[in-house]
Amino acid sequence: MARYIKLIFLIVMLLLYMLPVYYSIASSFKGLKEIYSYPPTVFPQNPSLQGYIEALRKQDMLTYLRNTLFVAVVATIITVMTSVMGGYGLAKGTFIGKITLNRLVVMTLFITAQVIMVPLFVIIRRLGLINNLWGLILPAVYTPTGMFTAIQYMRDIPDEFLESAKVDGASEWAIFWKIVFPLSKPLIAALSIFSFTWRWNDFVLPLLVVNKRSLYTLQLALAVIQGEFGGTPWNTILAFSTLTIIPTLVIFLLFQRFFMRGITAGGLKY
Amino acid sequence: MKKLINSRFLFAVPALVFLFIFVLLPVFSVFVMSFFSWDLLSPPKFTGWDNFLRLLEDKWFWNSIWVSIKLLMMTVPMCFFVPLALAVCLYKETTFSKILRAFFYWPYMMPAVAGTTMFKWLLSYDLGLLNHIIKSAGFSPVPWLLKPTPALFAISLLRTWGMTGLLMMMFITGLQSVPEEFHEAARVDGANRWQTFWYVTFPLLKNTNLLVLTTAIAHVFRDFAGVYVLTGGGPGYSTMVTPLYIYNTAFTQWRIGYAYAMSVVFLLVSFVIAVVTLRVRER
Repeated sequence: MARYIKLIFLIVMLLLYMLPVYYSIASSFKGLKEIYSYPPTVFPQNPSLQGYIEALRKQDMLTYLRNTLFVAVVATIITVMTSVMGGYGLAKGTFIGKITLNRLVVMTLFITAQVIMVPLFVIIRRLGLINNLWGLILPAVYTPTGMFTAIQYMRDIPDEFLESAKVDGASEWAIFWKIVFPLSKPLIAALSIFSFTWRWNDFVLPLLVVNKRSLYTLQLALAVIQGEFGGTPWNTILAFSTLTIIPTLVIFLLFQRFFMRGITAGGLKY
Repeated sequence: MKKLINSRFLFAVPALVFLFIFVLLPVFSVFVMSFFSWDLLSPPKFTGWDNFLRLLEDKWFWNSIWVSIKLLMMTVPMCFFVPLALAVCLYKETTFSKILRAFFYWPYMMPAVAGTTMFKWLLSYDLGLLNHIIKSAGFSPVPWLLKPTPALFAISLLRTWGMTGLLMMMFITGLQSVPEEFHEAARVDGANRWQTFWYVTFPLLKNTNLLVLTTAIAHVFRDFAGVYVLTGGGPGYSTMVTPLYIYNTAFTQWRIGYAYAMSVVFLLVSFVIAVVTLRVRER
């Protein structure tokens, strides 16, 4: 009995949670006439690719895709490098104020772009990075969750590994590249996946930094075309949304365990 | 005798430079610049406590805080009990529960703008599927995004939808750490499933519960993209949450100094949430 109640509960919840996704994807395949007809149809009656064609042609989606990919890939490479090195330095280095600095990193977990929007904009502007894709990359390089994860990971590398290499006469630089870096493969994988997804999904930073259409990222463009005078037809907007969630779905399905485990530890999205 | 500083620390320098320029400097500048009047074009003018005095009288600022509190009161209970119920059903490591978990987690890792857009379409007054279902069931359609209270509730549903996956995974981690013996001991004493859960398992989840609550509060409190796309703060100012109000003050009215002063308050509240969360986590 309890088993059936559980099953029914799960099915109802699943339907509710997938309702927005299903209805949007289904509607993205409706033609202009059908999407604005009343009452709404649950399945597209005359499936059409009109929305997709409009999104790709009229909305310059490929330009936004190129911008987004550039930002996501470059930011991910720099984030991974600085976080792996930074985690190593903060976990294994000796210096005055080590504990304070480590605590500071934990505190930054709570300072997201939404909280410091205005000063962030002023600093990016001062650096001359407004309407520049680097203005979307550099401020995003330091991610609190990434840094925190890297420090935790590096703490678990046994000191003996490092010490024995030192005794053998290896330089600090060589120790990092020959021992620490190869040991960090799981960390690098996790950081790359997270960083790419964060940058792909980001909205706040592009909204602050970019106001030229040719530099829009996908998510910024998706938000802007909804508010435009005259309005973009809903089937185009939904086709656009559907296309932008596909890559995150693929990454998610491929690396599910990273998301389900990793983020629970970090707990916050950045 | 250990050296006070060694060269290994140098590996942290690039990360620390980014941390300094894009996190610490902004936080620090918030406190300094909140004492200036500035429109970005002319040089900032020192005005002492003026911004803060104005803040005390700005009814829209206090409205934004009140909106956030209302949102929290609507959202946090849903964000607690729905993920808890799902976690109780799905905490065992079976293929079935792993597949279902993925579905509930998916909205959390979708781009916020795309997810919100889909929600907006579902909630559309005359073209949305939800009102169509409500009408087919014989009720009158809900003006989701057109009236203040339904609009707040819509944001609350959106946040719950988006956060369930994360919070459910926190509960699952918590539930899996409760040793099976506790359940068995309670069963032997003749407790039914419901009693076992409420009197044995649930109290053991105390830390998880607190972690879920603080995480939910932090997410709701600083949500920007969701509100921006779903309602834009409207109708009127009814869903104008604090970050959105700060954004509008700074980037549509260009009252930068005043926006800094509001950021001080926002930052302090975030800081309080942070400290409470960290306390919980360290336990």
